[in-house]
Amino acid sequence: MRSRISLLGWAELVALLLLAVGFIAPMVTRSVLVYSILNQIFIDVIAAESVWIMLRMNLLSFATPAFMAIGGYTVAIAGQYNITDAFLMSTAAFVLPALVAIPLGALVLRLRGTYFVLVTFVLSQIMQLLLFETPGLTGGSNGIAGVPPVTLLGTEMGSNRLVLQFACGLAILATLITGLLTRWFRQHFAAIEENEILAESLGLVVWRYKALGFVVAAGVAGLAGYSLVNMLLTAHPTSFDSATSVDFIAYTIIGGRASILGPVLGTGALVYATNLFGTHGQYAQGLYGVLILVVVLAARGGIVGTIAAVWRRLSGRRS
Amino acid sequence: MEQFLQAAIIGVSLGAQYALLALGFTLIFGILGVVNFSHGGFYMLGGYVAYSCVAGLGLPYPLAVLVAVLATGALGWVFELFLLERLVDDHLATLMLTLGLYLVISTGLLTIFGPLSMEFAFPVTGALHVGPIYVPRENLVVLVVCLAAIAALWLVLYRTDLGRGLRALADDRAVAMAQGLRPKLLFPLAFAIATGLAGLTGALVTPILSLSPGVGDPVLATSFLTVILGGLGSLEGAALAAFVVGIVEAFSSVYFGGSIGALVLFVLVLLLLVFRPTGLLGRTVRGA
Repeated sequence: MRSRISLLGWAELVALLLLAVGFIAPMVTRSVLVYSILNQIFIDVIAAESVWIMLRMNLLSFATPAFMAIGGYTVAIAGQYNITDAFLMSTAAFVLPALVAIPLGALVLRLRGTYFVLVTFVLSQIMQLLLFETPGLTGGSNGIAGVPPVTLLGTEMGSNRLVLQFACGLAILATLITGLLTRWFRQHFAAIEENEILAESLGLVVWRYKALGFVVAAGVAGLAGYSLVNMLLTAHPTSFDSATSVDFIAYTIIGGRASILGPVLGTGALVYATNLFGTHGQYAQGLYGVLILVVVLAARGGIVGTIAAVWRRLSGRRS
Repeated sequence: MEQFLQAAIIGVSLGAQYALLALGFTLIFGILGVVNFSHGGFYMLGGYVAYSCVAGLGLPYPLAVLVAVLATGALGWVFELFLLERLVDDHLATLMLTLGLYLVISTGLLTIFGPLSMEFAFPVTGALHVGPIYVPRENLVVLVVCLAAIAALWLVLYRTDLGRGLRALADDRAVAMAQGLRPKLLFPLAFAIATGLAGLTGALVTPILSLSPGVGDPVLATSFLTVILGGLGSLEGAALAAFVVGIVEAFSSVYFGGSIGALVLFVLVLLLLVFRPTGLLGRTVRGA
């Protein structure tokens, strides 16, 4: 059974290839708009992948901003002590949220999925309060400003172009982690998604795999927080507003749940579409709402599933 | 002592509001097995409908509240009948549908009314002085209406055939259907009752607290905490937990200030999930 699993499938490879295109973009254009959209896509892709990991097991997580905050503030606080090494901080931004997720996941994931949804929703609200209530550590409502840029192998990644390329690198790293996890445990996750009770009765210790997924998803979200703080050079509670969790869920569902291409394409398409709203970005959530209704009622596969269905129909007609 | 009594009164008054919200939420979960993410949206909608009736149409406030209940109930009924009903057994799909509806409602309200808070004042002002204790009249009115609504809901659920039908569907859908109960008729009705309750709470409470397109989120979070505490799907549990939440919140804001109360409640809920996953009064957890 194991032998048929390759480390990465074609969907993961296409996703990585798409992200890699963003690495070349700053060599082609200097447009501020392109830079800003790409930066946001790279950050949000990581967050959407964090949601997607849990969605593989039919669990909807609203906790992404909470774990992003842990990752982001870790980097910001380390920056105050002039610790900016990229490898060290990427590890810290991944490990710390993951550690927080262990007890929480073990606790909540033994229960039915509904509890998970409700607890993660409340958790991201609580994280906001915590950020405001601990001014000694997090700067409270002022946040932490003036975070120094990251240093990679001795080079300070300060320019716009290097910031963008570093964000791209983090997105690729997160996609690799997500891809490896979901490939390696594909059958376990699929069994849980398909029929949890059956999987459990066949001897799969379901909550353990769910907790594992939750811990990695938290780590991946931490990387998104790192990327966000590194772009803004500021850690502020509003960057990790609990309402943003809905955006990441929308990207994932609308993109499509079936493969990792879903969160990648969904994030790309929706971040671009949101930009078309210009200064009226707050209305984009209405668009997300309508699209979620459409996806759930009419196009279950989302963007990726619809493209695949059209592709199958076209290629079927040809043969 | 005065401070203590005053906090207790605020707590009970908050508890009654939370109870209305949580009862609706848990009713939907218990009967349909649906986690209603749009509950906060119906709360906001109730507030805005009441506001429009008072400020736009010049209706008296009590009538405006009634219109708000009917409007939110009707929208809930239509939403359940035409959208939710098709996927009612798919927990994740219904969750996403209600989330989509919430986004549509809040963006719709934002588009119509703009991002600023509305000036929507409660028609009854002043305070009642009982000895040294000071009780705002508006809170008393809200408390009385909420308690009346809870009593009415209890009467409907426990003293009428409709209520017996709804409770039977919550207990065991297959057996209830074999007995001739029709979910296609009762599900939209249950959803409408619940969203109407959320609308009622919104119409009553937003003039006292605030009315802007963002007020739905914390309402949803409080409803979640309350129903987990009370046991998902348990009506008595939700009512009891609502008063616990209200009283803890009131006392912590009087004695500690700020948002410590919310943190305490969250920790309380996590501990409860370890030691008593079915909640305060829950029995077996519905498979969801």
